[in-house]
Amino acid sequence: MLNLIRNEWMKLWQKKATWIIVVMLVAILIGVGGITKWVQSTNELPPNQPSWEENQAENQAFLTAQLADPNIDATSKKQLEKELAISEYRLDKNVEPMDPSGREQSVYDSHVMLSLVILFSVIVAASIVASEFSQGTIKMLLSRPVKRWKILTSKYLTTLLFAFVLTIIAFVSTMIASYLFYDASGGSILDYQNGSVVEVSYWGRVLVLYALQFVGVIIYTTFAFMIGSVFRSSSLAIGLSIFLLFVGPNIVFFLSKYEFVKYIFFTHTDLTGYITGNLFVPGMTWTLSLVVLTVYMLLFLFISFWSFTKRDVTS
Amino acid sequence: MEQQPIVELKGLSKTIGKKKIIDNLNLQLYPGQITGFLGPNGAGKTTTIRMMAGLMKPSSGEVIVEGQTVTEHFEETMSKVGVIVENPEMYKYMSGWKNLLHFARMNKTITKERITEVVDQVGMQNRIHEKVSSYSLGMRQRLGLAQALLHRPKFLILDEPTNGLDPAGIREFRTYLRKISEEDGVSVFVSSHMLSEIELMCDRIAIIQNGQLIDIREMNQKEQAHYYIEAHPVEQTQELLISHNLELEVSGTGFIAKVEQEQIPSIVKALIDANLQVFAVQPFRKTLEDQFLEMTGGGQIAESHKK
Repeated sequence: MLNLIRNEWMKLWQKKATWIIVVMLVAILIGVGGITKWVQSTNELPPNQPSWEENQAENQAFLTAQLADPNIDATSKKQLEKELAISEYRLDKNVEPMDPSGREQSVYDSHVMLSLVILFSVIVAASIVASEFSQGTIKMLLSRPVKRWKILTSKYLTTLLFAFVLTIIAFVSTMIASYLFYDASGGSILDYQNGSVVEVSYWGRVLVLYALQFVGVIIYTTFAFMIGSVFRSSSLAIGLSIFLLFVGPNIVFFLSKYEFVKYIFFTHTDLTGYITGNLFVPGMTWTLSLVVLTVYMLLFLFISFWSFTKRDVTS
Repeated sequence: MEQQPIVELKGLSKTIGKKKIIDNLNLQLYPGQITGFLGPNGAGKTTTIRMMAGLMKPSSGEVIVEGQTVTEHFEETMSKVGVIVENPEMYKYMSGWKNLLHFARMNKTITKERITEVVDQVGMQNRIHEKVSSYSLGMRQRLGLAQALLHRPKFLILDEPTNGLDPAGIREFRTYLRKISEEDGVSVFVSSHMLSEIELMCDRIAIIQNGQLIDIREMNQKEQAHYYIEAHPVEQTQELLISHNLELEVSGTGFIAKVEQEQIPSIVKALIDANLQVFAVQPFRKTLEDQFLEMTGGGQIAESHKK
């Protein structure tokens, strides 16, 4: 199996397209950092900006007003109360939040850039099986003394490994961009756990966000991998996967008031919502997300393996 | 032949949709023997070869390699088989060497030394580190052969192997196939539409038509001898030959007679004794092409198959 993965890894990096992907990823991430900084610097802020204490006080007034609304639903109420508690804690204990234009905030937010990693991983996942068919090399590959499921497993693991490497590259690139363009500003992250406000480790939180985003990377990658091994055509697989990648979240958004969206996998691909509070479908829980994602993953993998091992090579 | 066959096709059939592509094929392939596989387009050559190479599953019947079926013992059987299916498609963005390394890694026993050895054998040592996209078709064929030989297969399947080779390359290829079949006892199965090639290369040919094996024949078997006899005057010659109980066929100004070699001297003597002018008495051999077209009924097969 190790040799098979080495083969796939070698084929992957011998392709120019793979290197183009890496270069593009780094360029975009550093470029976005630079452009954001440049936009910020051209927006001249009026003098006498409020201090963070004044901002917090204003925020508290806003939250209290919202909580006073009698029509508020339970989930939103809980979220607002949590924010209010954190805000009060900051003023009481004099704990400064992160500066929105500081380096810490930039690194903290960088996990959203993993959608680029999803995009590029999907391209690789969709073509790793399909390209063997379009190049005609599949006949060479499958007439070896290696069972088909082993070959497919090696391809799947290689895709995941590639997605992981891209994630690391993305992380390092945003770090470089943040250190290049932003100044350290201090500040710390607070969370509301079991009825009390606690201070959480900054790097721990960044890591957790990246890990949760990586779950989304895995899901989309597996999905694209399935499409590629079922349809055996790179262009179709890439096109369809990327289409769904962009359309999926919109579908969820439009249908969010219906019960069944909870059982569509797009709804659960961004688990960071559980940490940041940006869940736009009400009534979601960790258990539901994990069950739905596991079921879909097993389904995708089953379809891929079934299709790849059972069907004849006729091209 | 008392030898055990290396490969055996037993009642091999393939149905796609409602169409029977391959119908109950039975064939034995022996070590040290080169078997040609002939058939008009659409007869089922490629499908048969793909089933032998593990790329398609038979609908019924078995491909057996040294007593093990390909479907049940895929890894054991395939490690004894080398395959070139149609044009050898390689990873064009990699060098020839990396392609070979790739395929070598899929087999447990192949060392780097073995790869170098095979590269030398097919005469690619000078360009093996260049990208395959820069290779000519002939070089890709050589590389295709190299990958099929890496694991010293006991059985070699070749689909249209000389496609794209120049005459010198074809000859070299033929000599090489002979060598490995004779020296290493490799059984070779070659499909081709180039009849003259098959004729020069093979010990035996199997002919397939509409998914059925219609004939298997040994190339070196003493076929019924035919002789071309030309003597003047024609009428008297004909009478004389018929009086010797020979079957005749007119061919130009002479006759093709079905006659055993031993009879020839007495016939020549009879012709001379009868004061006929003898111009030619020579062995006549039908080309494989003639035989093939005779057996398959010319070009109509491919069409009737489509219906």
